[in-house]
Amino acid sequence: MAVEFDGGVVIGADSRTTTGAYIANRVTDKLTPVHDRIFCCRSGSAADTQAVADAVAYQLAFHSVELEEPPRVRTAARLFQQSCYRYREELSAGIIVAGWDPRRGGQVYVVPMGGLLLRQPFAVGGSGSSYIYGFLDATFQPGMSRSQCQEFVARALALAMVRDGSSGGVIRLAAITEEGVERTVLAGSDLPWGDGGPPV
Amino acid sequence: MSILACNGGAVLAMRGRGCVAIAADRRFGIQAQTVSTDCQRIFPMGQRLLLGLAGLATDVQSVAQRLKFRLNLYELKEGRQIKPQTFMSMVSNLLYERRFGPYYAEPVIAGLDPVSLEPFICSLDLIGCPMVTQDFVLSGTCSEQMYGMCESLWEPDMEPEHLFETISQAMLNAVDRDAISGMGVVVHVIEKDKITTRTLKARMD
Repeated sequence: MAVEFDGGVVIGADSRTTTGAYIANRVTDKLTPVHDRIFCCRSGSAADTQAVADAVAYQLAFHSVELEEPPRVRTAARLFQQSCYRYREELSAGIIVAGWDPRRGGQVYVVPMGGLLLRQPFAVGGSGSSYIYGFLDATFQPGMSRSQCQEFVARALALAMVRDGSSGGVIRLAAITEEGVERTVLAGSDLPWGDGGPPV
Repeated sequence: MSILACNGGAVLAMRGRGCVAIAADRRFGIQAQTVSTDCQRIFPMGQRLLLGLAGLATDVQSVAQRLKFRLNLYELKEGRQIKPQTFMSMVSNLLYERRFGPYYAEPVIAGLDPVSLEPFICSLDLIGCPMVTQDFVLSGTCSEQMYGMCESLWEPDMEPEHLFETISQAMLNAVDRDAISGMGVVVHVIEKDKITTRTLKARMD
């Protein structure tokens, strides 16, 4: 998931990759940089999303050199959308593009399966997202600070990880601002409810 | 999805010196969704006899209940506690009665002989084929993971405390590699004079 705040974005993801019911990787990094200040959160087929992200990262690097300035987040999102829409029958890819650029600050764009492009104040994706829509709608406030956004993302992901079998592991967070990208990992007792365990 | 993998879950039993231990996870789910984290998979069938079942949750409950019914009648008629080996045959018979429309449950039995206090463990497949081993038995959606853990961790003649640690680690690390098992683990250790039940602190994802 990703959330905008004044000055940047906070993005977060779980770390579980499954083949069937087997957890193939429990420490996956689903937060993929496509440029210095632009990341994407990948969900769906790992192969499909990695391939598309690699292609977009190449296109953005080239574009950025031509432009002689950092690319816009909207451009990165549009590049994702072009690939996801053109190959919509073949791909299984739900992507959230989030980052910071000098023109518009922090922005979150969602490119769900099918290939539509939409900017949102916050976006969620992946199988675990179904379980937290109520929590998100009840808890989200516009104008949250960076640390409030981080707590919001961490709580949301933790709740989804409990309910969804395909989600789990650690919570990877990244805060993207003009200054740079700050990555953190929340594992085990760092989770929002501490050692007591979740309510369920 | 395979019927045995609809709800997820895992059960494991190990033999030690003069004791047995049986453990199960606590997740009840429907495909990927976790519905509750307090599902009972291990059922008492005698003073020193526990039955664990993994598989389709409805059949786990049905088999346990029907078995208890037959066991109660047995104890009334015989006037004594059932031997684990005999109980195994009772389970086998109940499951094979449904050979061509089976219960989707695979049981694991752990107990001590009521008279000699000899430890006993066995498992059966869903149509009642029994298998008695001297080390460990298991069933569930993460069976391959559990086999790997047990083969490396088990050793003969473990005392109850050591057996508890071993079965706990085998269970925890196996279910942590399965998306549809886990959400807590309960472990029972059966010794000649007591049964110790502990709930482990486990990953809740």
